[in-house]
Amino acid sequence: MSTEHIRNFSIIAHIDHGKSTLADRILELTGTVNERYKKDQFLDDMDIERERGITIKASAVTIGYEYEGKKYMLNLIDTPGHVDFHYEVSRALAACEGALLLVDATQGVEAQTVANSHLAIENDVELIGVINKIDLPAAQPDVVSEEIEHVIGLRKNECFNISAKTGKGVPELLEAIITLLPPPPDRSGERTAAMIFDSHCDDYRGVICYVRVFAGSLTVKRKIRFMGNSRTYIITELGKFTPTMTAVDKLSAGEVGYVIANIHELSDVTIGDTITDDAEPAEKALAGYKPPMQMVFSDFYPGNNTDYSGLRAAFAKLAPNDASFSFIAHNSPALGFGFRCGFLGLLHMEIIQERLEREYDIDVVQTAPTVSYEVLTKSGKVTKIDSPSELPDVTKIAELREPFVRLEIVTTNDSIGEIMKLAESRRCRLLKTDYISSTRVMLEYKAPLAEIVYDFYNILKSVSHGYATMDYEFMGFEASDLVKMDVLVNKVAVDALSIIVHRSTAEIRGRKLIARLRKSIPRHQFEIPLQAAIGSKIIARETVKAFRKDVTAKLYGGDVTRKMKVLKKQKEGKRRMKSIGSVQIPQEAFMSILDSKDSE
Amino acid sequence: MSDNSKYISESIGLYVHVPFCRTKCRYCNFYSEPITKYDAGAIIKAMIAEMELRTAGYSIKTLYLGGGSPSSLPRELLLELVRQMKQRCQADEEFTVEINPGQVDEILLDKLHKKGVNRLSIGAQSFIQRELDFLGRQHTADCISKALGYGRSAGFENINLDLIFAVPGSSLDSWKYNLNSAIELSPDHISAYSLTYEDQTPIGIDLAAGIIKSVDEETDRQMYEMTIDELKRAGIYQYEISNFAKDGFECRHNLNYWANGGYIGIGPGATSYLRGVRSTNYPNIHRYAEAVGNGASTLETTEKLDNLEWACESAVLNLRRRSGINLAEFKKQTGFDAELLFEEPIQEYQKLGLIEKNNGRIYLTRKALGIADSILCDFSAV
Repeated sequence: MSTEHIRNFSIIAHIDHGKSTLADRILELTGTVNERYKKDQFLDDMDIERERGITIKASAVTIGYEYEGKKYMLNLIDTPGHVDFHYEVSRALAACEGALLLVDATQGVEAQTVANSHLAIENDVELIGVINKIDLPAAQPDVVSEEIEHVIGLRKNECFNISAKTGKGVPELLEAIITLLPPPPDRSGERTAAMIFDSHCDDYRGVICYVRVFAGSLTVKRKIRFMGNSRTYIITELGKFTPTMTAVDKLSAGEVGYVIANIHELSDVTIGDTITDDAEPAEKALAGYKPPMQMVFSDFYPGNNTDYSGLRAAFAKLAPNDASFSFIAHNSPALGFGFRCGFLGLLHMEIIQERLEREYDIDVVQTAPTVSYEVLTKSGKVTKIDSPSELPDVTKIAELREPFVRLEIVTTNDSIGEIMKLAESRRCRLLKTDYISSTRVMLEYKAPLAEIVYDFYNILKSVSHGYATMDYEFMGFEASDLVKMDVLVNKVAVDALSIIVHRSTAEIRGRKLIARLRKSIPRHQFEIPLQAAIGSKIIARETVKAFRKDVTAKLYGGDVTRKMKVLKKQKEGKRRMKSIGSVQIPQEAFMSILDSKDSE
Repeated sequence: MSDNSKYISESIGLYVHVPFCRTKCRYCNFYSEPITKYDAGAIIKAMIAEMELRTAGYSIKTLYLGGGSPSSLPRELLLELVRQMKQRCQADEEFTVEINPGQVDEILLDKLHKKGVNRLSIGAQSFIQRELDFLGRQHTADCISKALGYGRSAGFENINLDLIFAVPGSSLDSWKYNLNSAIELSPDHISAYSLTYEDQTPIGIDLAAGIIKSVDEETDRQMYEMTIDELKRAGIYQYEISNFAKDGFECRHNLNYWANGGYIGIGPGATSYLRGVRSTNYPNIHRYAEAVGNGASTLETTEKLDNLEWACESAVLNLRRRSGINLAEFKKQTGFDAELLFEEPIQEYQKLGLIEKNNGRIYLTRKALGIADSILCDFSAV
């Protein structure tokens, strides 16, 4: 098939704007998915994805389509919609020439839509504006098309109005994919270059690489070379996802499919790497895309039903299929042996935690997530740390730098005041205000990542009555007046509770943190002082009072069986907590230091 | 019936549970039925039959007749039951009968004493009428001193008063009044319990529904502390979490429970414990009587403890005594070295000053008594 008859495209959308529904509809209209086998939202193939309504890993489907008597091959490369997965969006876009920019007609352009559109434009990806859910009574396609024109720069009269749910407008959209999106350039005569944009490990077939062939072709039994690490393999199988895996003999320039080549370890494959022919290699590798950047770190320790080796084994199985997740062994004086884990963002972290529980039946004690910091020591060395416990002695620090992001918030006019107040309390600096329609505005901030990474989004949602959306993009590290705040439980500093805070807010945060901690640590047989300290200075103090009464008044012969059961249960309850010194600390306490319920 | 012969040398306690009351107290979760609704004679006959069958071959050391309310029985029945019990006890040991102060007179107590009962346990609970009403007791404060006086006249030299503190509405002063009222009567033994709100009892239900409010924890504990101190001053010493006695008047029947010794329980709902097997009779008068009538087992549940469970129970029960675990005795009884078996909690609680070791004993310190469950739970399993 000539490249003239190929279209490679993605769908860019905010969460819940209907991306998966549109994908389903396209698969159905083109007869790609047999009605009998159809599960709703075919592309989301992990349980958690389907439950949360989000797509975590990019998938690719090859669709056959006939237009004006000619056969076309459409490759739909799926993208995740959540802010944490920018990285996955960028790798999907790198494999496409075009994208559908899908916006909910009842919601309008959201922050992520803007961010992902910018990403597409940077990648020279052609965009088609698509307004979805026009069947809903609250739909305002005209207002939304104005927004698209204003914010993204697509012409409002060129947007498509559809309902992915009913199928209205989708056939026209399919035609537009052919007529409006560019075909891949014909580079079949050049030396072979294919980009790996995703991979996963199959228990029986080894590593399966998802590739986009840009130049030349791949054929079965050819010897290929990975340009990043110079390893060579023989291709044992090539194929396409239709959407099930269907073997083919050849993948040519412009096509999307999979490669199986006796690769055993996922770690042997780098996403973004270029596959070329070993005998006639391409001169240079394809330009990659933005590599993943871990923004959030948290320590995971084995919980009561788990041991260290069990947790390690689970991570070892999880990590290979998730290039953006990392774990390294870490020992905490308070919590013992565990792992420092790196994530793209909080959602990513929650997903890993949930998968541990669900797929591996492992429970963990997890510390509050933190961002990474740069430390400039007086000796002039810059090191990156991702835990407060790694901070060198304060006398050795010349400068502490924290990550800043460009934060975009799209909201309705009436919540601007509240949002500005929130942003100010989080040390955000307003860069730009842009009225995108008569009722909605886009605010652009420079924000310290640490201030927005945990609970900012939830509070933003709450103060804007659910209307505001946000997205952020890493800008760089900058010096800040940061201090390490230690938490002492029963006069012992608990490393897992330490946090790095801005000096200006240290005292307030210390007081709130200690107050929350007091509520989450159960009363013990003795009084427990809780203190927040910066260096040797105590900035906040509370006391968990001792309980005074816990005794069965009457215990004679007839009550023993019942009482022993109660006591054993009580002992079990203690076991479920982490014991630090003589203090039993429940898991919630480690997270409570970030709980925002009473912090605003 | 099982072969009792191999335990023949074992000295055990005999508890007989009278499953009747005239009225049910609002805090009580023991099994009992209103006596007016049943043929008490038939049930007592069944209990005597059970007793005959199950005590054969055992050497019985202590007798205890409780309930329910033994004094709610028609007198002939009560005296017959007492006579039957006394028959099974060769030694001249402790024989306690629980009495409701509103249900006894001089003649009855005289007869009980003559039949060999040597200890009375009077369900006094409180000397304040408002509290008695709240608890659903059918006697007055006056009845308590009268009952005790009848007992003394009848020749009882060992009399216990049961008291309840932290009744809603009570204060440190009102509890002090109760304690002093009790002390004035010169009992030999006092059991003082903090009011427990058991599920399914009227007060438990009222508390859960927010209709009544329990005394706050701090006041409750101050009452407890006051009890220990005031009684000590009166020469009545604490020997178990809720039990106090003049020297030599500790209740031997109950001490056997805390020593994890053997006992046979007779009557509906009564529990027996023999060599690591705990069994409980049907807590239902009809099923119980039917089983006895058919010569079938009266046991609803039987639980065999393994050696380790047995050792853990012993530790939990022993630690309720002020004298705690006697290490040598524990080893002899269970085969385990308590210091090794419970090394972790012992060390932990020694550090916190909640457990002490002295003279071959491990025991709870005074400040540990009020929070004993939080400590004992770590001995409940290993």
